Amino acid sequence: MSIQPETTENVSVASRLDDVWVTLVWNDPVNLMSYVTHVFQTYFGWSREEAERRMREVHERGKTVVSSGGREHMEVDVQAMHGYGLWATMQRSDA
Amino acid sequence: MHRDGFAVAELDADERAVIARVVADVGLLLGEEPFGMEAEEPTVGDGDELFGFLQSLEAALADPDDPAVLRVLPNAAPTDREVASEFRRLTEPELRATKVARLKAMWLALSEDGPEWAVPEEDAMATAGALTDLRLVLASRLGVVTDEDATALHDEIELAAHAVETGAAAELNVDPERVWLGMLYQALTWLQESLMSYVMRNDE
Repeated sequence: MSIQPETTENVSVASRLDDVWVTLVWNDPVNLMSYVTHVFQTYFGWSREEAERRMREVHERGKTVVSSGGREHMEVDVQAMHGYGLWATMQRSDA
Repeated sequence: MHRDGFAVAELDADERAVIARVVADVGLLLGEEPFGMEAEEPTVGDGDELFGFLQSLEAALADPDDPAVLRVLPNAAPTDREVASEFRRLTEPELRATKVARLKAMWLALSEDGPEWAVPEEDAMATAGALTDLRLVLASRLGVVTDEDATALHDEIELAAHAVETGAAAELNVDPERVWLGMLYQALTWLQESLMSYVMRNDE
């Protein structure tokens, strides 16, 4: 059995584990500005001022990056946002 | 309005029954077990027309591949099918269970006797989350996709409600079911907004 494919696979897995991912929250017409602000404050531990600034970014620019890190960490954040009913997605940060 | 650790909304039994029915519908949409098999159906007063609307809402909610469900449980990675389906496989059962549980708690609270709907402070965010899911489903049914759609809906409902009151609905070609859903959406928005001002009264 050739060792070549395995090496290739290891390299590919290693580079994927090192990838930086981001969680995005997108604007939608349903979520209330107050609710989004409070969710940002309680879940991410931001001050009211910071949470409002990020909420406005979602509202005015259509989206904001709320967190970055490994893929599994982003899955936790996206799941939490979906739990609150916010429209969140994840992607590689260079995507 | 709030009192002794509760957010309180003055909703009479009929109003609570209508909301409870929609809560149960959305619960059924996300879960499998109907709410209230063990309890008596909340009764609605002279609401034959209302029940007609509710029944057609229920029929719509039963659609497979429902876009409203996709709003409540969105695609987590629209640009990467493998990541999206893995996310769904890992998280969807838990997300559905969480959402159904808080809808059920809201349904039980609405089904209690009394002149009002009282939400204890510790349940306030779970209730706000349930209200969000209800509003996401109704917005999807009403075709509200953009902020402009939401503004247009508000104006449309205001105009139509006025037309219904003044008997001019026929001339305006008003769809009573749409007006009713729109009014319900706005009432739930107002309830959530009030609940959030209670929750956030001490936020800094």
